Amino acid sequence: MAPRDTSTLAEPMARGRAPRVNPELLPAAVVLACAVLLIVASTLLNAGSSFVPQLDAVLVTSIFLVVASFGQGLTILLGGIDLSIGVVVGLAAIMVSTLTNGSNAAILWVVPATLGFAAFIGLVNGLGVALARVPPFIMTLASGISFYGVGLAFTTGLAQRPVAPGLVALMNARVAGVPIPVVILLGFVIVATIFQNGTSDGRKLYALGSSPGAARVLGLPIAALTILVYTLSGLCAGISGILLAGYSSAATIDIGDPLLLPTIAAVVIGGARVVGGRGIYLGTFAGALFLSALETIITVLNLSQGVRNIIEGAIIVFALLLQSERWRVARG
Amino acid sequence: MSAALRRLGRLRPTGGAVVAVVIFLALYAIYAASEASAASVFGLTNLFNNTVVLAIASAGLTLVVLAGEFDLSPIGVIAIANVVMATTSVGTLGWFGALILVLLIGAAVGLLNGWLVASLRLQSLAVTIGTMIACEGVALLLLPAPGGAVNQAIVDALTGDVLEVVPVALAVIALVLLVWLVLARTRFGIAIYAVGTDAMAARLSGLSAERTKLLAFVLAGVAYAFAGFMLSCQTGSGDPRASDTLLLYMYASVAIGGTSLMGGRGGVFGTLFGAGILSVMQKMLFALGAASFYTSIFSGLIMLVAIFIGNASELLARVRRQRVA
Repeated sequence: MAPRDTSTLAEPMARGRAPRVNPELLPAAVVLACAVLLIVASTLLNAGSSFVPQLDAVLVTSIFLVVASFGQGLTILLGGIDLSIGVVVGLAAIMVSTLTNGSNAAILWVVPATLGFAAFIGLVNGLGVALARVPPFIMTLASGISFYGVGLAFTTGLAQRPVAPGLVALMNARVAGVPIPVVILLGFVIVATIFQNGTSDGRKLYALGSSPGAARVLGLPIAALTILVYTLSGLCAGISGILLAGYSSAATIDIGDPLLLPTIAAVVIGGARVVGGRGIYLGTFAGALFLSALETIITVLNLSQGVRNIIEGAIIVFALLLQSERWRVARG
Repeated sequence: MSAALRRLGRLRPTGGAVVAVVIFLALYAIYAASEASAASVFGLTNLFNNTVVLAIASAGLTLVVLAGEFDLSPIGVIAIANVVMATTSVGTLGWFGALILVLLIGAAVGLLNGWLVASLRLQSLAVTIGTMIACEGVALLLLPAPGGAVNQAIVDALTGDVLEVVPVALAVIALVLLVWLVLARTRFGIAIYAVGTDAMAARLSGLSAERTKLLAFVLAGVAYAFAGFMLSCQTGSGDPRASDTLLLYMYASVAIGGTSLMGGRGGVFGTLFGAGILSVMQKMLFALGAASFYTSIFSGLIMLVAIFIGNASELLARVRRQRVA
């Protein structure tokens, strides 16, 4: 990968006197606006629907990507990556549905146990990256492949298991007219934004991501922060998997695979750089929402799967193109 | 060839490729000990038929990774190549015309990727997701559902053996290695390592990072297309989704073969053995009577083992060098 961009460190100092508005807010806001435009467009295209239900629908279907992308965003912020997310989502979904097996009786211990297992995979990744110094790309790829095998071992011969009705109800219920998943989504976005861009731990992650050497000199707990990030990523993938199981009312072990690459796309479309140190969670959220809205509008268009894929791929490339132009202007 | 390898080794020392060879031989030995047909021409042909698609595709990927970039589009290119072979190789184009067409498509996708990454400076890890999805779309347009047929002549010729001695798939892999060994000695071959190690320094010493990366993507695209061609010969039909599971194993092959995913270190030689390890392991576990899920578990573990030994041997080499100095 390209050598670390040291200008990112100098930038805030040079602009010390400028008003303290995060320069990454603008690209995130633009992507968010594009996502809203897509939702408006899909409302117009879909005769007989109105904006709010359409918005709700997109928000509900985006929650899996939004939650999983938070973890991916944190690992990318450190200059790493988490390639085990798809597997963890699938394992969490299959675990929660196998253990509850269509009844609410076990839900109270199964959900925490599933989250614990997902976080454990993240912890293994974190230990491998932070202590054994395995490159994140390899560590998370290897653990993903291996844990997928473990999952297969436990599910061989099993048909799809129905998930607990409580979880299904949760994904379909409304409170004061607002779907519960939307409430969960908003809560998650607020908590995640506060963690990444409002706490001292979050700021330490930016310091570590933009310059590990400087972070070491400063005496930041590098290993602990790295382990924390990968554990959180596993946990988020676990949450995403449980929600996905509830949404689809039955789970398969491959259910999370289609989420892996979109988490990376969401983070980068949101303005992050894969070398680390850049990007805010609002951007990642906007990127995830953008991708989900794109998926929705393409489905509304009633085209063949092939044409849909071509449009989706082209728009992802186009979004990245806009993003990069903006960086060049911002730097120039 | 060993002299060439030694010279390459001196150029960029990585313990990874050697580790991959050792692991491959060890796994093969266990496989041969528990399965009598393993050492027969039939057994070897079968083994290399299972390896060849992953090996060629991963070899192409290695070029991009060496240049310090990522490419997630190979499965899209392989899908297009597969459906093009399944729809045109029997008709007027014939298998050779279809092969040329497929290689040109691969080069075109590689050119697009290279332009987006090298010229427009987009982040390869993200932008190739876009081209991959678009390519899969093209494949689905050409052949919406599995079907079609691949010219029987190449299906028979490329999955068999030469004079009942050498598996054709092994000969193809050897050809890829030969191309790599020639390529690695060219200006481009040297530039690719320089650019992957430090793009700025490479630029200062007069190498064009842009052109090098562009060429790496184009050659990689051609390799993916060729892998798709070989896949079509293996399956004899077209399936726009046949390559979906391949991507992560391609990165596993590259990593097991000792190529640094940060760029600048490694090579195709190790990658070919990395791909070989993944498929011989599958054969070995099957011969030992292990359930199929062990293949996944061991694939991940062997990646970590290969990386650990590779890192350790490099560390040892560095210590030794420091002592000499």
